[in-house]
Amino acid sequence: MSIEVKNLVKIYDDKRVIDNVSFNVENGETLAIVGFSGSGKSTILKMICGLTEKDGGEIITSKGDIAMVFQYSALFDSLNVADNISFALRERKELRNKYSEKELREIVSKKLELVGLKGIEYKFPSELSGGMQKRVSFARAIVTEPNTILYDEPTAGLDPISSTLIEDYIVRLKEETNAASIVVTHQMSTITRTANKVIMLYGGRIVFNGTPEEMLRQDNPYTKQFVTASLDGPMKMIA
Amino acid sequence: MGNLKIYLKQSATYKIYRTCVRNLVDFMDTLGSIIIYGFATLRYILTFRVHRKELIEQCARFGISSLPITLSIVSMTSIIVASQVAPEMVKQGGGNFVGLLITMLIVREVGAIMSGFAIISMIGSSLASELATMRVTEQIDAIQVLKVDPIRYLFVPRILSGLIMMPLVVVVASVIGVLAGAVTTDLTTDLGYRAYFDSVWFGIYMKDLTVCILKAVCFGGTIALISCSCGYTASGGAKGVGLATTKAVVWSIVAMVIWDMLFAIAFFF
Ligand SMILES: Nc1ncnc2c1ncn2[C@@H]1O[C@H](COP(=O)(O)OP(=O)(O)OP(=O)(O)O)[C@@H](O)[C@H]1O
Ligand SMILES: [Mg+2]
Repeated sequence: MSIEVKNLVKIYDDKRVIDNVSFNVENGETLAIVGFSGSGKSTILKMICGLTEKDGGEIITSKGDIAMVFQYSALFDSLNVADNISFALRERKELRNKYSEKELREIVSKKLELVGLKGIEYKFPSELSGGMQKRVSFARAIVTEPNTILYDEPTAGLDPISSTLIEDYIVRLKEETNAASIVVTHQMSTITRTANKVIMLYGGRIVFNGTPEEMLRQDNPYTKQFVTASLDGPMKMIA
Repeated sequence: MGNLKIYLKQSATYKIYRTCVRNLVDFMDTLGSIIIYGFATLRYILTFRVHRKELIEQCARFGISSLPITLSIVSMTSIIVASQVAPEMVKQGGGNFVGLLITMLIVREVGAIMSGFAIISMIGSSLASELATMRVTEQIDAIQVLKVDPIRYLFVPRILSGLIMMPLVVVVASVIGVLAGAVTTDLTTDLGYRAYFDSVWFGIYMKDLTVCILKAVCFGGTIALISCSCGYTASGGAKGVGLATTKAVVWSIVAMVIWDMLFAIAFFF
């Protein structure tokens, strides 16, 4: 039970955005995917959770729920925070009518407390800051206690302290539920705190595959360029 | 050879050809998605898979928020017609038929089609832009990842509200339209309310009423379906939202006029 990706291919307008990418994530493991903006990280996540068709290869995930934390939060702007978080519990077919209003309220406030946002149940997403939206969307994604969790830049745009809060929670959630998780991130702190494996994408292919420690050792020209944030190196910004 | 290809691709003929093909594909895409979502929604409605809370909300939106503009458009049309026709008819000795004429006009044609235009501009455009915005901001993706059924949650309440509320809107608008005609006739002629309303009853046929209600149901459902489908399939940022809204309005108007023509052919030809 895990996530297994074999020879994944995605083509957009004749361009192989994802070109033969393979990796696997066991239960209780967290894989970090890093790479340039536009290297196809979000595309991989969307193929895993079934939002985007793949053009080749294989994706095998364990049976339970797949949750996704979207890069730009994707909160329902016509619903308040509480309804956003309890959305799946209220509307999903097998969960409908399973919880009473009181139970739902309790779940919501518990999840909100978890992400450090107590007492904003009745605010609307447009009344929240970007970082607060991100944390609400985190709470919304994990409300069904999924066993496969995909995070698309969960800590981007957060202050360091909120980042740490989210990172700690990613780790705690993994330990509690033994979930297989994938974290797409640009942030070194998120990689070192949450992941035990890292892959790096460039030009649709994997150019590095190892542990965070190996990545920091910088003996691969790609990771060296990434970690030192240098303009010289094998990776060129291509428009 | 390569040069020739590049050269050909710059020619006007090729560009026209490509534009035509693109538009045709786009047209078939739109039509196809409308049909697919239409049937899916119908299946849900027939098996009573309806989200009640959303349905009530959408009905309130469809009926109440559109009422001011629908009522004013229909009654203004009635005023326009009555103020021009009533004095003339009275002068020519046809005063007994003013009410009949206005009623027939509204029940047969104006009530439904003018309400339709009002609903398209108020509700259709807002449904389309709402769903398109949800699409481009990944809210619809989020619905799918949370394993909630978008047909049940988004399409069914909106389309069902169109089917239910449009006849009500048309009936209310028609009644107000007939009343507006009465006031106009009273102000522009010396006919009086009594004579007007006496002939109103002769202008109402059961068949006309049935057709009017049927028409309203078809208009309401079609407008909601087209608007939802265009919004749902939008792509590409703010521009995509604009395009989807325009498409929804244009397609709704054309579809409504086609329905109207079909009804005219089927019942009055
Ligand atoms: N719907 C689409 N149609 C065409 N091309 C697309 C589409 N979605 C993504 N792409 C292309 O696929 C590539 C990868 O996009 P993706 O969003 O996965 O990048 P990313 O690695 O998540 O970048 P970022 O770090 O900026 O979020 C980009 O080059 C983009 O242009
Ligand atoms: Mg991305």
